[in-house]
Amino acid sequence: MWELIRANKRNSIILMTLMAMVLLLLGFLIGLFIFGPEGGFFGLVIATVIWLILTLISFSSGDQIFLAASGAKPVTKDVNPQLFNVVEEMTIAAGMGKMPKIYIIADPAPNAFATGRKPETSSIAVTAGLLGRLNRDELQGVIAHEMSHIINRDILFVTMAGVMLGTIVLLSQIFLRGMFYSSMGSRRRYSSGGKGGGQAAILFLIIAIIAAILAPIMAQLLYFALSRRREYLADAGGARLTRYPEGLASALEKIANDPSPQLAAANKASAPMYIVNPFKKKGQMKLSDLTSTHPPISERIRILRNMTHGASFKDYSDAYTSTTKHKTIVPVSSFTKEQVAIRQASEKAKSQELKSKQMRQVGDIMRVVNGFVFLSCVCGLKLKIPPNFKASTVKCPRCKRTLEVPKQ
Amino acid sequence: MDCPVCKNAMVVLELRGVEIDHCFGCGGIWLDAGELDLLIDDVEKSAKLLDSFTIDTKCTEAKRKCPICAKKMLKVVVGKDGHQLLIDSCKKKHGLWFDAGELEDILKRAKLDSDSKIQTLLADMFAENPQLSETGNNQNQ
Repeated sequence: MWELIRANKRNSIILMTLMAMVLLLLGFLIGLFIFGPEGGFFGLVIATVIWLILTLISFSSGDQIFLAASGAKPVTKDVNPQLFNVVEEMTIAAGMGKMPKIYIIADPAPNAFATGRKPETSSIAVTAGLLGRLNRDELQGVIAHEMSHIINRDILFVTMAGVMLGTIVLLSQIFLRGMFYSSMGSRRRYSSGGKGGGQAAILFLIIAIIAAILAPIMAQLLYFALSRRREYLADAGGARLTRYPEGLASALEKIANDPSPQLAAANKASAPMYIVNPFKKKGQMKLSDLTSTHPPISERIRILRNMTHGASFKDYSDAYTSTTKHKTIVPVSSFTKEQVAIRQASEKAKSQELKSKQMRQVGDIMRVVNGFVFLSCVCGLKLKIPPNFKASTVKCPRCKRTLEVPKQ
Repeated sequence: MDCPVCKNAMVVLELRGVEIDHCFGCGGIWLDAGELDLLIDDVEKSAKLLDSFTIDTKCTEAKRKCPICAKKMLKVVVGKDGHQLLIDSCKKKHGLWFDAGELEDILKRAKLDSDSKIQTLLADMFAENPQLSETGNNQNQ
Protein backbone atom coordinates (compact mmCIF):
# COMPACT_ATOMS: atom_id res chain seq x y z
CA MET A 1 0.00 0.00 0.00
CA TRP A 2 2.63 2.48 1.10
CA GLU A 3 4.83 1.34 -1.73
CA LEU A 4 2.09 2.22 -4.14
CA ILE A 5 1.75 5.71 -2.76
CA ARG A 6 5.50 6.19 -2.87
CA ALA A 7 5.77 5.04 -6.49
CA ASN A 8 2.88 7.29 -7.32
CA LYS A 9 4.52 10.19 -5.57
CA ARG A 10 7.78 9.68 -7.42
CA ASN A 11 6.08 9.68 -10.81
CA SER A 12 4.04 12.71 -9.86
CA ILE A 13 7.12 14.62 -8.77
CA ILE A 14 8.85 13.88 -12.07
CA LEU A 15 5.86 15.05 -14.08
CA MET A 16 5.21 18.05 -11.87
CA THR A 17 8.83 19.06 -12.32
CA LEU A 18 8.40 18.78 -16.06
CA MET A 19 5.32 20.97 -15.94
CA ALA A 20 7.13 23.46 -13.70
CA MET A 21 9.98 23.58 -16.23
CA VAL A 22 7.52 24.29 -19.04
CA LEU A 23 6.04 27.07 -16.91
CA LEU A 24 9.40 28.60 -16.04
CA LEU A 25 10.70 28.35 -19.59
CA LEU A 26 7.58 30.08 -20.83
CA GLY A 27 8.03 32.84 -18.23
CA PHE A 28 11.68 33.21 -19.19
CA LEU A 29 10.97 33.48 -22.91
CA ILE A 30 8.13 35.93 -22.46
CA GLY A 31 10.41 37.99 -20.21
CA LEU A 32 13.12 37.94 -22.85
CA PHE A 33 10.71 39.13 -25.44
CA ILE A 34 9.04 41.87 -23.44
CA PHE A 35 11.95 43.29 -21.44
CA GLY A 36 14.82 42.59 -23.81
CA PRO A 37 17.91 40.37 -23.36
CA GLU A 38 18.17 40.93 -19.59
CA GLY A 39 14.47 40.48 -18.92
CA GLY A 40 14.38 36.68 -18.92
CA PHE A 41 14.95 36.45 -15.20
CA PHE A 42 12.27 39.03 -14.54
CA GLY A 43 9.73 37.05 -16.58
CA LEU A 44 10.68 33.97 -14.62
CA VAL A 45 9.97 35.75 -11.34
CA ILE A 46 6.60 37.01 -12.57
CA ALA A 47 5.59 33.52 -13.71
CA THR A 48 6.56 32.10 -10.31
CA VAL A 49 4.68 34.80 -8.42
CA ILE A 50 1.48 34.21 -10.42
CA TRP A 51 1.81 30.48 -9.87
CA LEU A 52 2.39 30.96 -6.12
CA ILE A 53 -0.65 33.17 -5.71
CA LEU A 54 -2.92 30.72 -7.51
CA THR A 55 -1.48 27.82 -5.53
CA LEU A 56 -2.04 29.60 -2.23
CA ILE A 57 -5.66 30.33 -3.11
CA SER A 58 -6.33 26.76 -4.15
CA PHE A 59 -4.59 25.36 -1.09
CA SER A 60 -6.32 27.53 1.44
CA SER A 61 -9.85 27.21 0.12
CA GLY A 62 -9.75 25.26 -3.13
CA ASP A 63 -11.98 22.43 -1.90
CA GLN A 64 -14.53 24.86 -0.49
CA ILE A 65 -14.63 26.81 -3.76
CA PHE A 66 -15.00 23.59 -5.67
CA LEU A 67 -17.80 22.23 -3.47
CA ALA A 68 -19.63 25.55 -3.60
CA ALA A 69 -19.27 25.77 -7.37
CA SER A 70 -20.74 22.31 -7.82
CA GLY A 71 -23.69 23.16 -5.57
CA ALA A 72 -22.92 20.39 -3.07
CA LYS A 73 -24.81 20.40 0.24
CA PRO A 74 -23.44 18.74 3.40
CA VAL A 75 -25.57 15.93 4.82
CA THR A 76 -25.84 14.42 8.27
CA LYS A 77 -26.30 10.81 9.24
CA ASP A 78 -30.06 11.00 9.76
CA VAL A 79 -30.64 12.34 6.25
CA ASN A 80 -29.12 9.35 4.48
CA PRO A 81 -28.00 6.56 6.84
CA GLN A 82 -27.01 4.15 4.05
CA LEU A 83 -24.57 6.55 2.43
CA PHE A 84 -23.08 7.33 5.83
CA ASN A 85 -22.79 3.68 6.63
CA VAL A 86 -20.99 2.89 3.39
CA VAL A 87 -18.53 5.76 3.85
CA GLU A 88 -17.85 4.68 7.45
CA GLU A 89 -17.19 1.12 6.28
CA MET A 90 -14.78 2.23 3.57
CA THR A 91 -12.99 4.62 5.95
CA ILE A 92 -12.25 1.65 8.20
CA ALA A 93 -11.29 -0.60 5.27
CA ALA A 94 -8.89 2.05 3.98
CA GLY A 95 -7.41 2.53 7.45
CA MET A 96 -8.09 6.25 7.40
CA GLY A 97 -8.17 8.00 10.75
CA LYS A 98 -10.99 10.38 10.06
CA MET A 99 -14.10 9.98 7.98
CA PRO A 100 -14.39 12.32 4.99
CA LYS A 101 -17.22 14.85 5.04
CA ILE A 102 -20.17 13.83 2.89
CA TYR A 103 -21.97 16.07 0.41
CA ILE A 104 -24.91 15.55 -1.94
CA ILE A 105 -25.37 17.43 -5.22
CA ALA A 106 -28.95 17.93 -6.40
CA ASP A 107 -28.51 16.66 -9.93
CA PRO A 108 -30.18 13.74 -11.69
CA ALA A 109 -26.98 12.77 -13.58
CA PRO A 110 -25.20 10.06 -11.56
CA ASN A 111 -21.61 11.03 -10.71
CA ALA A 112 -19.29 11.48 -7.73
CA PHE A 113 -16.04 13.17 -6.75
CA ALA A 114 -13.68 13.54 -3.83
CA THR A 115 -11.88 16.71 -2.83
CA GLY A 116 -9.59 18.03 -0.09
CA ARG A 117 -5.83 18.21 0.11
CA LYS A 118 -5.20 15.83 2.98
CA PRO A 119 -7.10 12.66 3.93
CA GLU A 120 -7.99 14.37 7.24
CA THR A 121 -9.77 17.27 5.56
CA SER A 122 -11.20 15.43 2.58
CA SER A 123 -14.80 15.40 1.38
CA ILE A 124 -16.76 13.07 -0.86
CA ALA A 125 -19.67 14.37 -2.92
CA VAL A 126 -22.23 12.24 -4.74
CA THR A 127 -25.15 13.35 -6.89
CA ALA A 128 -28.76 12.57 -6.03
CA GLY A 129 -28.99 10.65 -9.31
CA LEU A 130 -26.21 8.34 -8.17
CA LEU A 131 -27.95 7.57 -4.88
CA GLY A 132 -31.19 6.95 -6.69
CA ARG A 133 -29.85 4.46 -9.20
CA LEU A 134 -27.22 2.37 -7.45
CA ASN A 135 -27.73 -0.47 -5.01
CA ARG A 136 -25.60 -0.78 -1.91
CA ASP A 137 -22.80 -2.83 -3.52
CA GLU A 138 -22.48 -0.39 -6.38
CA LEU A 139 -22.52 2.63 -4.09
CA GLN A 140 -19.79 0.96 -2.04
CA GLY A 141 -17.71 0.51 -5.21
CA VAL A 142 -18.01 4.19 -6.08
CA ILE A 143 -17.20 5.35 -2.54
CA ALA A 144 -14.18 2.98 -2.43
CA HIS A 145 -12.96 4.44 -5.75
CA GLU A 146 -13.19 7.96 -4.31
CA MET A 147 -11.56 6.80 -1.08
CA SER A 148 -8.64 5.43 -3.13
CA HIS A 149 -8.24 8.84 -4.74
CA ILE A 150 -8.02 10.32 -1.24
CA ILE A 151 -5.46 7.86 0.13
CA ASN A 152 -3.39 7.97 -3.07
CA ARG A 153 -3.21 11.77 -2.59
CA ASP A 154 -4.59 12.17 -6.09
CA ILE A 155 -6.58 15.22 -5.11
CA LEU A 156 -3.53 17.12 -3.97
CA PHE A 157 -1.88 16.21 -7.21
CA VAL A 158 -4.82 17.05 -9.47
CA THR A 159 -5.17 20.40 -7.69
CA MET A 160 -1.48 21.22 -8.06
CA ALA A 161 -1.29 20.06 -11.67
CA GLY A 162 -4.50 21.94 -12.40
CA VAL A 163 -3.15 25.16 -10.91
CA MET A 164 0.11 24.84 -12.82
CA LEU A 165 -1.74 24.14 -16.03
CA GLY A 166 -3.97 27.12 -15.31
CA THR A 167 -0.93 29.36 -14.83
CA ILE A 168 0.65 28.19 -18.09
CA VAL A 169 -2.54 28.81 -20.02
CA LEU A 170 -3.02 32.18 -18.33
CA LEU A 171 0.52 33.35 -19.13
CA SER A 172 0.44 32.27 -22.74
CA GLN A 173 -3.00 33.76 -23.28
CA ILE A 174 -1.96 37.12 -21.83
CA PHE A 175 1.19 37.02 -23.91
CA LEU A 176 -0.48 36.07 -27.19
CA ARG A 177 -3.26 38.61 -26.74
CA GLY A 178 -0.79 41.28 -25.63
CA MET A 179 1.31 40.53 -28.72
CA PHE A 180 -1.66 41.02 -30.94
CA TYR A 181 -2.30 44.53 -29.65
CA SER A 182 1.20 45.81 -29.08
CA SER A 183 3.33 44.12 -31.70
CA MET A 184 3.70 47.34 -33.68
CA GLY A 185 5.16 49.35 -30.81
CA SER A 186 7.67 46.78 -29.65
CA ARG A 187 8.95 46.08 -33.12
CA ARG A 188 9.67 49.72 -33.69
CA ARG A 189 11.52 49.93 -30.40
CA TYR A 190 13.81 47.02 -31.22
CA SER A 191 14.59 47.95 -34.79
CA SER A 192 15.78 51.39 -33.73
CA GLY A 193 17.77 49.98 -30.80
CA GLY A 194 20.86 48.49 -32.42
CA LYS A 195 22.24 46.63 -35.38
CA GLY A 196 22.31 43.02 -34.07
CA GLY A 197 19.40 43.62 -31.69
CA GLY A 198 16.75 43.46 -34.38
CA GLN A 199 17.64 39.95 -35.42
CA ALA A 200 17.89 38.69 -31.86
CA ALA A 201 14.49 40.18 -31.10
CA ILE A 202 12.91 38.40 -34.04
CA LEU A 203 14.49 35.14 -32.92
CA PHE A 204 13.17 35.60 -29.38
CA LEU A 205 9.81 36.52 -30.79
CA ILE A 206 9.59 33.29 -32.79
CA ILE A 207 10.73 31.16 -29.87
CA ALA A 208 8.31 32.88 -27.51
CA ILE A 209 5.38 32.42 -29.88
CA ILE A 210 6.16 28.74 -30.38
CA ALA A 211 6.53 28.28 -26.64
CA ALA A 212 3.29 30.11 -25.95
CA ILE A 213 1.41 27.90 -28.39
CA LEU A 214 3.05 24.63 -27.38
CA ALA A 215 3.16 25.07 -23.62
CA PRO A 216 -0.58 24.79 -22.91
CA ILE A 217 -0.94 21.82 -25.25
CA MET A 218 1.97 20.01 -23.65
CA ALA A 219 0.81 20.77 -20.16
CA GLN A 220 -2.70 19.63 -20.96
CA LEU A 221 -1.46 16.35 -22.38
CA LEU A 222 0.60 15.71 -19.27
CA TYR A 223 -2.35 16.53 -17.07
CA PHE A 224 -4.67 14.25 -19.00
CA ALA A 225 -2.26 11.33 -19.15
CA LEU A 226 -1.81 11.55 -15.40
CA SER A 227 -5.43 11.75 -14.53
CA ARG A 228 -6.23 8.73 -16.72
CA ARG A 229 -3.56 6.67 -15.00
CA ARG A 230 -4.94 7.69 -11.65
CA GLU A 231 -8.44 6.58 -12.58
CA TYR A 232 -7.14 3.06 -13.23
CA LEU A 233 -5.26 3.04 -9.96
CA ALA A 234 -8.34 4.26 -8.09
CA ASP A 235 -10.37 1.48 -9.73
CA ALA A 236 -7.75 -1.03 -8.56
CA GLY A 237 -7.85 0.43 -5.06
CA GLY A 238 -11.65 0.45 -5.05
CA ALA A 239 -11.81 -3.21 -6.04
CA ARG A 240 -9.35 -4.09 -3.29
CA LEU A 241 -11.16 -2.14 -0.57
CA THR A 242 -14.57 -3.64 -1.36
CA ARG A 243 -13.25 -7.09 -2.36
CA TYR A 244 -16.02 -6.97 -4.93
CA PRO A 245 -14.93 -5.63 -8.35
CA GLU A 246 -18.37 -6.32 -9.83
CA GLY A 247 -19.92 -3.62 -7.63
CA LEU A 248 -17.80 -0.86 -9.15
CA ALA A 249 -18.08 -2.40 -12.62
CA SER A 250 -21.85 -2.40 -12.60
CA ALA A 251 -21.93 1.09 -11.06
CA LEU A 252 -19.75 2.37 -13.92
CA GLU A 253 -22.02 0.62 -16.38
CA LYS A 254 -25.10 2.27 -14.92
CA ILE A 255 -23.45 5.69 -14.88
CA ALA A 256 -22.27 5.31 -18.49
CA ASN A 257 -25.64 4.16 -19.80
CA ASP A 258 -27.64 6.75 -17.94
CA PRO A 259 -29.94 8.79 -20.18
CA SER A 260 -30.23 11.89 -17.98
CA PRO A 261 -28.73 15.17 -19.19
CA GLN A 262 -25.12 15.92 -18.34
CA LEU A 263 -24.14 17.31 -14.98
CA ALA A 264 -24.99 21.00 -14.92
CA ALA A 265 -22.30 22.09 -12.49
CA ALA A 266 -19.36 20.44 -14.26
CA ASN A 267 -16.83 22.47 -16.21
CA LYS A 268 -13.53 21.77 -17.95
CA ALA A 269 -11.44 22.48 -14.90
CA SER A 270 -13.42 20.23 -12.60
CA ALA A 271 -13.96 17.36 -15.07
CA PRO A 272 -10.92 15.29 -13.95
CA MET A 273 -12.31 15.21 -10.40
CA TYR A 274 -15.38 13.13 -11.20
CA ILE A 275 -15.55 9.32 -11.24
CA VAL A 276 -16.80 9.37 -14.82
CA ASN A 277 -16.17 12.22 -17.25
CA PRO A 278 -19.23 14.47 -16.81
CA PHE A 279 -19.15 15.59 -20.44
CA LYS A 280 -21.17 13.31 -22.63
CA LYS A 281 -19.88 12.87 -26.13
CA LYS A 282 -21.19 10.51 -28.72
CA GLY A 283 -18.77 7.69 -29.53
CA GLN A 284 -16.59 8.69 -26.62
CA MET A 285 -17.00 5.33 -24.96
CA LYS A 286 -15.17 3.43 -27.66
CA LEU A 287 -12.66 6.03 -28.66
CA SER A 288 -9.60 6.17 -26.49
CA ASP A 289 -8.59 9.69 -27.08
CA LEU A 290 -5.43 11.59 -26.18
CA THR A 291 -7.31 14.52 -24.74
CA SER A 292 -9.65 12.54 -22.55
CA THR A 293 -9.25 12.88 -18.79
CA HIS A 294 -10.77 9.46 -18.20
CA PRO A 295 -10.03 6.07 -19.72
CA PRO A 296 -12.88 4.64 -21.79
CA ILE A 297 -15.52 3.34 -19.39
CA SER A 298 -16.05 0.16 -21.37
CA GLU A 299 -12.40 -0.68 -20.82
CA ARG A 300 -12.54 0.07 -17.11
CA ILE A 301 -15.57 -2.20 -16.79
CA ARG A 302 -13.92 -5.03 -18.76
CA ILE A 303 -10.81 -4.90 -16.60
CA LEU A 304 -12.85 -5.07 -13.39
CA ARG A 305 -14.93 -7.96 -14.73
CA ASN A 306 -11.77 -9.86 -15.72
CA MET A 307 -10.64 -9.92 -12.10
CA THR A 308 -11.79 -13.47 -11.48
CA HIS A 309 -9.09 -14.71 -9.13
CA GLY A 310 -9.03 -12.09 -6.45
CA ALA A 311 -9.21 -8.39 -5.70
CA SER A 312 -5.59 -7.47 -4.92
CA PHE A 313 -3.50 -4.99 -6.92
CA LYS A 314 -1.77 -7.95 -8.59
CA ASP A 315 -5.11 -9.30 -9.76
CA TYR A 316 -6.08 -5.91 -11.17
CA SER A 317 -2.74 -5.61 -12.90
CA ASP A 318 -3.16 -9.07 -14.50
CA ALA A 319 -6.67 -8.19 -15.64
CA TYR A 320 -5.36 -4.89 -17.00
CA THR A 321 -2.64 -6.48 -19.11
CA SER A 322 -4.89 -9.24 -20.42
CA THR A 323 -7.65 -6.76 -21.32
CA THR A 324 -5.71 -3.88 -22.83
CA LYS A 325 -2.55 -5.73 -23.99
CA HIS A 326 -0.58 -2.77 -22.59
CA LYS A 327 2.12 -2.76 -19.97
CA THR A 328 0.64 -2.60 -16.51
CA ILE A 329 0.06 0.81 -14.93
CA VAL A 330 0.06 -0.56 -11.41
CA PRO A 331 3.51 -0.12 -9.83
CA VAL A 332 5.21 -3.52 -9.41
CA SER A 333 6.21 -2.56 -5.89
CA SER A 334 2.58 -2.85 -4.79
CA PHE A 335 2.45 -6.58 -5.62
CA THR A 336 2.73 -7.89 -2.11
CA LYS A 337 1.95 -11.48 -1.28
CA GLU A 338 -1.48 -10.45 0.00
CA GLN A 339 -4.45 -12.53 -1.01
CA VAL A 340 -7.67 -10.59 -1.37
CA ALA A 341 -10.53 -12.98 -2.02
CA ILE A 342 -13.58 -11.77 -3.88
CA ARG A 343 -16.66 -11.71 -1.70
CA GLN A 344 -20.21 -12.53 -2.68
CA ALA A 345 -22.82 -9.96 -3.63
CA SER A 346 -24.37 -8.67 -0.43
CA GLU A 347 -27.97 -8.49 -1.55
CA LYS A 348 -30.19 -9.31 -4.46
CA ALA A 349 -30.79 -6.71 -7.12
CA LYS A 350 -33.71 -4.55 -6.21
CA SER A 351 -37.00 -4.82 -8.06
CA GLN A 352 -38.33 -2.08 -10.31
CA GLU A 353 -40.90 -1.04 -7.71
CA LEU A 354 -38.25 -0.54 -5.08
CA LYS A 355 -36.18 1.49 -7.51
CA SER A 356 -38.82 4.13 -8.04
CA LYS A 357 -39.29 4.24 -4.28
CA GLN A 358 -35.53 4.72 -3.94
CA MET A 359 -35.68 7.66 -6.37
CA ARG A 360 -38.48 9.24 -4.31
CA GLN A 361 -36.47 8.86 -1.12
CA VAL A 362 -33.47 10.53 -2.72
CA GLY A 363 -35.71 13.34 -3.94
CA ASP A 364 -36.95 13.83 -0.39
CA ILE A 365 -33.38 13.82 0.94
CA MET A 366 -32.50 16.59 -1.49
CA ARG A 367 -35.56 18.56 -0.42
CA VAL A 368 -34.72 18.26 3.28
CA VAL A 369 -31.20 19.45 2.47
CA ASN A 370 -32.61 22.36 0.48
CA GLY A 371 -34.95 23.51 3.26
CA PHE A 372 -38.34 22.26 2.06
CA VAL A 373 -41.23 22.01 4.52
CA PHE A 374 -43.17 18.73 4.48
CA LEU A 375 -46.91 18.93 5.15
CA SER A 376 -49.24 15.95 5.41
CA CYS A 377 -52.88 16.72 4.85
CA VAL A 378 -55.49 14.68 6.75
CA CYS A 379 -56.81 13.38 3.43
CA GLY A 380 -53.50 11.61 2.73
CA LEU A 381 -51.98 14.05 0.26
CA LYS A 382 -48.40 15.07 0.99
CA LEU A 383 -47.35 18.61 0.17
CA LYS A 384 -43.67 19.54 -0.06
CA ILE A 385 -43.34 23.29 0.16
CA PRO A 386 -40.18 24.99 -1.15
CA PRO A 387 -38.46 27.62 1.04
CA ASN A 388 -39.31 30.42 -1.41
CA PHE A 389 -43.07 29.76 -1.25
CA LYS A 390 -44.60 33.09 -0.30
CA ALA A 391 -48.13 32.45 0.95
CA SER A 392 -48.56 31.56 4.63
CA THR A 393 -51.40 29.14 3.94
CA VAL A 394 -51.99 26.61 1.22
CA LYS A 395 -55.26 25.01 0.13
CA CYS A 396 -55.06 21.23 -0.22
CA PRO A 397 -56.07 20.57 -3.83
CA ARG A 398 -57.56 17.23 -2.86
CA CYS A 399 -59.89 18.01 0.05
CA LYS A 400 -59.85 21.83 -0.14
CA ARG A 401 -58.77 22.14 3.50
CA THR A 402 -56.63 25.15 4.29
CA LEU A 403 -53.24 24.20 5.67
CA GLU A 404 -50.85 26.50 7.43
CA VAL A 405 -47.30 26.72 6.16
CA PRO A 406 -44.92 26.84 9.16
CA LYS A 407 -42.42 29.67 9.05
CA GLN A 408 -38.73 28.74 8.87
CA MET B 1 -38.49 25.29 -8.65
CA ASP B 2 -40.54 28.19 -9.98
CA CYS B 3 -43.55 27.96 -12.28
CA PRO B 4 -42.56 28.83 -15.88
CA VAL B 5 -45.87 30.68 -16.39
CA CYS B 6 -46.56 32.73 -13.28
CA LYS B 7 -43.14 32.44 -11.55
CA ASN B 8 -44.63 31.30 -8.23
CA ALA B 9 -42.76 28.66 -6.26
CA MET B 10 -44.19 25.26 -7.17
CA VAL B 11 -45.27 22.79 -4.51
CA VAL B 12 -44.57 19.08 -4.77
CA LEU B 13 -47.65 16.91 -4.32
CA GLU B 14 -47.34 13.25 -3.42
CA LEU B 15 -50.18 10.74 -3.41
CA ARG B 16 -49.79 6.96 -3.32
CA GLY B 17 -46.15 7.10 -4.39
CA VAL B 18 -46.75 9.42 -7.33
CA GLU B 19 -45.16 12.82 -7.18
CA ILE B 20 -45.80 15.91 -9.33
CA ASP B 21 -44.78 19.57 -9.23
CA HIS B 22 -47.88 21.73 -9.10
CA CYS B 23 -48.36 25.49 -9.37
CA PHE B 24 -51.11 26.88 -7.18
CA GLY B 25 -51.16 30.06 -9.23
CA CYS B 26 -52.11 28.69 -12.64
CA GLY B 27 -52.80 25.02 -11.96
CA GLY B 28 -50.05 23.83 -14.29
CA ILE B 29 -48.01 20.68 -13.78
CA TRP B 30 -44.27 20.12 -14.27
CA LEU B 31 -42.94 16.60 -14.76
CA ASP B 32 -39.21 16.01 -14.38
CA ALA B 33 -37.40 13.86 -16.94
CA GLY B 34 -38.41 10.26 -16.34
CA GLU B 35 -41.42 11.12 -14.18
CA LEU B 36 -43.83 10.44 -17.01
CA ASP B 37 -42.30 6.95 -17.19
CA LEU B 38 -42.92 6.51 -13.49
CA LEU B 39 -46.49 7.78 -13.86
CA ILE B 40 -47.32 5.51 -16.77
CA ASP B 41 -45.32 2.63 -15.29
CA ASP B 42 -44.86 0.90 -18.65
CA VAL B 43 -41.66 1.62 -20.57
CA GLU B 44 -43.08 0.70 -23.98
CA LYS B 45 -46.23 2.76 -23.62
CA SER B 46 -44.44 5.83 -22.32
CA ALA B 47 -41.82 5.56 -25.08
CA LYS B 48 -44.62 5.33 -27.64
CA LEU B 49 -46.27 8.42 -26.18
CA LEU B 50 -43.00 10.36 -26.11
CA ASP B 51 -42.25 9.34 -29.70
CA SER B 52 -45.62 10.66 -30.82
CA PHE B 53 -44.57 14.16 -29.72
CA THR B 54 -43.56 16.35 -32.65
CA ILE B 55 -41.73 19.65 -32.36
CA ASP B 56 -43.77 22.62 -33.49
CA THR B 57 -41.95 25.38 -35.34
CA LYS B 58 -44.81 27.60 -36.48
CA CYS B 59 -46.43 28.26 -33.15
CA THR B 60 -46.58 31.86 -32.03
CA GLU B 61 -47.43 31.15 -28.40
CA ALA B 62 -44.89 32.76 -26.08
CA LYS B 63 -41.87 30.58 -25.33
CA ARG B 64 -41.54 29.52 -21.70
CA LYS B 65 -38.36 28.88 -19.81
CA CYS B 66 -37.42 25.53 -18.30
CA PRO B 67 -37.64 25.84 -14.49
CA ILE B 68 -34.43 23.80 -14.16
CA CYS B 69 -32.03 25.26 -16.74
CA ALA B 70 -33.90 28.53 -17.53
CA LYS B 71 -33.43 27.96 -21.27
CA LYS B 72 -36.36 28.49 -23.61
CA MET B 73 -38.44 25.35 -24.02
CA LEU B 74 -39.69 23.83 -27.26
CA LYS B 75 -43.35 23.73 -28.15
CA VAL B 76 -44.39 20.17 -28.74
CA VAL B 77 -47.55 19.01 -30.52
CA VAL B 78 -49.40 16.08 -29.01
CA GLY B 79 -52.26 14.25 -30.75
CA LYS B 80 -53.60 13.94 -34.27
CA ASP B 81 -55.19 16.59 -36.50
CA GLY B 82 -58.32 18.25 -35.25
CA HIS B 83 -57.59 17.70 -31.61
CA GLN B 84 -54.11 18.93 -30.88
CA LEU B 85 -52.48 20.14 -27.74
CA LEU B 86 -49.33 22.19 -27.30
CA ILE B 87 -47.09 21.40 -24.39
CA ASP B 88 -43.63 22.70 -23.48
CA SER B 89 -40.58 20.47 -23.43
CA CYS B 90 -37.10 21.40 -22.26
CA LYS B 91 -34.45 21.27 -25.00
CA LYS B 92 -32.04 19.65 -22.61
CA LYS B 93 -34.65 17.03 -21.65
CA HIS B 94 -35.07 18.29 -18.10
CA GLY B 95 -38.81 17.73 -18.22
CA LEU B 96 -42.26 18.64 -19.54
CA TRP B 97 -44.68 21.43 -18.64
CA PHE B 98 -48.45 20.92 -18.85
CA ASP B 99 -50.92 23.78 -18.51
CA ALA B 100 -53.92 23.14 -16.27
CA GLY B 101 -55.83 20.10 -17.54
CA GLU B 102 -53.45 19.25 -20.37
CA LEU B 103 -51.84 16.25 -18.69
CA GLU B 104 -55.21 14.64 -17.92
CA ASP B 105 -56.31 15.28 -21.48
CA ILE B 106 -53.22 13.68 -23.00
CA LEU B 107 -53.37 10.65 -20.77
CA LYS B 108 -57.04 10.19 -21.58
CA ARG B 109 -56.41 10.44 -25.31
CA ALA B 110 -53.41 8.08 -25.24
CA LYS B 111 -55.60 5.32 -23.70
CA LEU B 112 -52.68 4.10 -21.70
CA ASP B 113 -54.14 1.83 -19.12
CA SER B 114 -57.43 0.01 -19.27
CA ASP B 115 -58.37 0.82 -15.69
CA SER B 116 -57.14 4.41 -16.14
CA LYS B 117 -55.24 4.24 -12.86
CA ILE B 118 -53.32 7.44 -13.49
CA GLN B 119 -56.35 9.47 -14.46
CA THR B 120 -58.20 8.38 -11.35
CA LEU B 121 -55.17 9.28 -9.31
CA LEU B 122 -54.81 12.72 -10.87
CA ALA B 123 -58.53 13.38 -10.58
CA ASP B 124 -58.37 12.27 -6.98
CA MET B 125 -55.35 14.47 -6.33
CA PHE B 126 -57.22 17.53 -7.51
CA ALA B 127 -60.59 16.40 -6.12
CA GLU B 128 -62.32 16.58 -9.45
CA ASN B 129 -64.59 14.02 -10.96
CA PRO B 130 -63.84 13.13 -14.60
CA GLN B 131 -66.83 15.05 -16.00
CA LEU B 132 -65.82 18.26 -14.30
CA SER B 133 -62.26 18.11 -15.51
CA GLU B 134 -63.46 17.46 -19.06
CA THR B 135 -65.56 20.62 -19.15
CA GLY B 136 -62.58 22.43 -17.71
CA ASN B 137 -60.47 21.29 -20.64
CA ASN B 138 -63.03 22.40 -23.19
CA GLN B 139 -62.99 25.85 -21.73
CA ASN B 140 -59.23 25.99 -22.04
CA GLN B 141 -59.22 25.26 -25.71
